[in-house]
Amino acid sequence: MRLFIFIILLFSSISGVSQSIVSGKVLDNKNNPIEGANVYLDGTYDGSTTNDKGEFSFITDASGENTLKVSFLSFETLSLTKEVSELNNLQIELREDINALDTVVISAGTFSAGDNSKISVLKPLDVVTTASALGDFVGALQTLPGTTTVAEDGRLFVRGGEAEETQIFIDGIRVFTPYVPTTNNTPTRGRYSPFLFDGITFSTGGYSAEYGQALSSVLLLNTIEEPNQEKTDIGIMSVGAALGHTEKWESSSLSVNGAYINLAPYIALFPDRNHWIKPFQGGSGEAVFRKNLSQGLLKMYSAFEFSSFDLIQEDINFPEGIHNKLKNKNLYFNSSYKGVLNDNWSVFGGLSYTYNYSKFEVIDDKIDDKENSFHAKFKLKHNFSSRFKLNIGAEYFSTNFKENYDNPVINEVSYGFKNNITAVYSEADIFFSKNLALKAGLRLEYSDLFKELTLSPRMSLAYKTSAKSQISLAYGNFYQNPNNNILKFNQDLDAESTRHYILNYQLNNDGKIFRAEAYYKQYDDLIKFDTEYADFSSNYSNSGTAYAKGIDLFWRDNKSINNLDYWISYSYLDSERNYKNYPATATPNFVNTHNLSVVTKYWIENWKSQVGMSYGFASGRTYTNPNIEGFLNQKTKSYNSLSLNWSYLISQQKILYFSVNNVLGIKNINGYQYADVPDSNGNYARRALRPAADQFFFVGFFWTISENGTDNQLDNL
Amino acid sequence: MLKTKHYILMIVTLLSLSIHSQSNYEKGMEKAFSFWELGDINAAEQLFERIANAEPTEWLPNYYIAQINSLKSWEEKDATIIKAQLDKAQSYLDIAKSISKDNPEIMVLQAHIYTNWVVFDGAFYGMKYGATISELYENAFKIDPENPRVVFSKADWAYGSAQYFGQDTTPYCKEIKESLELFANFKPVSKFAPNWGLERAVQVLNECK
Repeated sequence: MRLFIFIILLFSSISGVSQSIVSGKVLDNKNNPIEGANVYLDGTYDGSTTNDKGEFSFITDASGENTLKVSFLSFETLSLTKEVSELNNLQIELREDINALDTVVISAGTFSAGDNSKISVLKPLDVVTTASALGDFVGALQTLPGTTTVAEDGRLFVRGGEAEETQIFIDGIRVFTPYVPTTNNTPTRGRYSPFLFDGITFSTGGYSAEYGQALSSVLLLNTIEEPNQEKTDIGIMSVGAALGHTEKWESSSLSVNGAYINLAPYIALFPDRNHWIKPFQGGSGEAVFRKNLSQGLLKMYSAFEFSSFDLIQEDINFPEGIHNKLKNKNLYFNSSYKGVLNDNWSVFGGLSYTYNYSKFEVIDDKIDDKENSFHAKFKLKHNFSSRFKLNIGAEYFSTNFKENYDNPVINEVSYGFKNNITAVYSEADIFFSKNLALKAGLRLEYSDLFKELTLSPRMSLAYKTSAKSQISLAYGNFYQNPNNNILKFNQDLDAESTRHYILNYQLNNDGKIFRAEAYYKQYDDLIKFDTEYADFSSNYSNSGTAYAKGIDLFWRDNKSINNLDYWISYSYLDSERNYKNYPATATPNFVNTHNLSVVTKYWIENWKSQVGMSYGFASGRTYTNPNIEGFLNQKTKSYNSLSLNWSYLISQQKILYFSVNNVLGIKNINGYQYADVPDSNGNYARRALRPAADQFFFVGFFWTISENGTDNQLDNL
Repeated sequence: MLKTKHYILMIVTLLSLSIHSQSNYEKGMEKAFSFWELGDINAAEQLFERIANAEPTEWLPNYYIAQINSLKSWEEKDATIIKAQLDKAQSYLDIAKSISKDNPEIMVLQAHIYTNWVVFDGAFYGMKYGATISELYENAFKIDPENPRVVFSKADWAYGSAQYFGQDTTPYCKEIKESLELFANFKPVSKFAPNWGLERAVQVLNECK
């Protein structure tokens, strides 16, 4: 009986004789009440929701020390541990969650594609659906502001910088030879298939201390982490064929791609300005292997490519033309590991190896180039809190370049160099609030070749001016060793350097993006030499200087008109240089003062088609006319090109694709070549440098075969 | 003697505590569903959150938080909030997945969340998730071909695609019709296990005709 009473007593005590009231008020950092916050005792069912005054009150059976939790969308969840009896009349302030989407983003200088960034201006698919790009990721980026139109080259020229000043990275690891070799009147393309990447970040200045050896720009490509299904892709094109396959296993996957391009049939149908002995042909193979490990992801990427051509090109000084022959072999291997060590530490390690072999024959000269390069990188990231993150890293670049030159009149010579660079960097990301963020870093590099130590501070600051807009500032110091064409002749030099100053404004309003950026770039220590061409006899120095300043504007809208997505880019660039063998300061021939790009994509529902248009305008480029006084003293007429493309979804898995570049057949001129000697009237004759072909047509059929039968690359354009 | 008494006392106490806890879960879940039925979806969501937090071995409260956020995103116009809701749905569904592996109900809800992303921004998420959605339905069907939500959702997705490409939709309409029968005979494994979808299936079937 006594036991019975005891049990009853025990029960009643458990079911809550001692109830307490938990109450208080929830406010944000500006003392405004938060309505609808979830307030509860951790591990119990006891809780309540705050009212419009931010107040809450509930009764609990819990006693002793307990943890009160307060959570609300886009605020950091707050935990408060106290005796239950003390959990009343509380005044609770929630901190904004800086991981929330409306947090300020450091965006000066940067364009992103993908969902890895809150400021994406492009989607990965834009790369393949931009009319003028012809499926080349570099071509699509050329429709963004900050790039200039050097139509015969095809590489990225950013803000008054030369093409070599832009470095490309795959999964954070450097690509040493990113472009396919071409003739000097045909634009090159990026070597890698755009379908392998799901994130692209293009920075036109002021980038992180993580990236070095780039004076103007970095392009970061991330390979797809997890392919969504097993499939086989078949592509049949007017210029060749491609085949790809993806296989998935429990925790790993493998994608392989192969392509063969031969321009012979195309050139037979549409002859161009070159006299081809053997038109361009190339083959490539790529493989990506991904393996999910318990704490991270391992990716391995490798690509092999060969290409060759043989032709005779027109030249004003050689009536019979110049014979040009090229064979290129390129191997690229890249492997990276990204993982977490614990809640606060993450780790990244990677390395790449490049082998590039080119054999040129120009008239009687035979030149063999061999490049062996590798890059190893290791970095650690520590999150002290969601508001303070520290990155530290170390990397090593090594390039071994050898050239062999053979000519009937001289003895065969071999020369080359080793360019090894060690670097360490550290960078902090600090969020003072949801509206103000700072990124500050320092990079230290040591060049083995020059025995030179350089220190580059980098900094950017972003401030949110309203719910949809923000301004950013960036400053940075950048160093880069001179390129192979100089280093192969002289190694007693220093690194070239630039300083960037950037002011950026961005407005992002529901499908509409506006960006405006003003910048100033100062170049120092540029290489100068005193001969017509850089060679062994030249005297070299680091006495060159240059500047570039300008304004870049970007507008994109995919909301205002149904089914229409368009963007407009405009760049104003003012740049002058005194480098290389320039006798005076002048605007170089790769600078256009005005650049305009308009890209539209229109989806026609009834036709299951996307029709794309892109228009490019660039004001004239400088050239030297020896018939009048001065250096780089005249400008070509402006450049215009209108391109169209049409993708037609035959069924869920089959796409037919057409594109035409320069539909209007505008005769663009890239520059002029003048005769070495004047004619009998004392006049130097000239020849216009035109693209190999004014227009280019492309037809392709792409077929995806998958188990589910519902996938294709363009299924939701 | 004293010892035995103590044992009995302890056993009774433990028993009563565990019964207590069991009924707390049931009471909590019932209350959350009643909030939901009365249209107070936020109160339901918050109670599910408390239950999920207190019962780390139950996948259902996490599942319903995910479902509520997925449904909420249909009504929402503000892109920032839609993204936040779908991210919240995903994070709770991830917890549900970690508690209950290879669960066809969770796979269906995962496919629905991805479908909401596709609806939100077809140009971007269509490419990213299109194939994954199909694969999720295939896998869920392999595990439980009799589950009406699996059969219906899979057929609904295929029906939508076929309709879009002007292909024959009859086989999918037939599958949707068959799912009605599965809905009629479906017995949820527990009181709170998922048991929704019939209304939507009837609605889609009416469009089919």
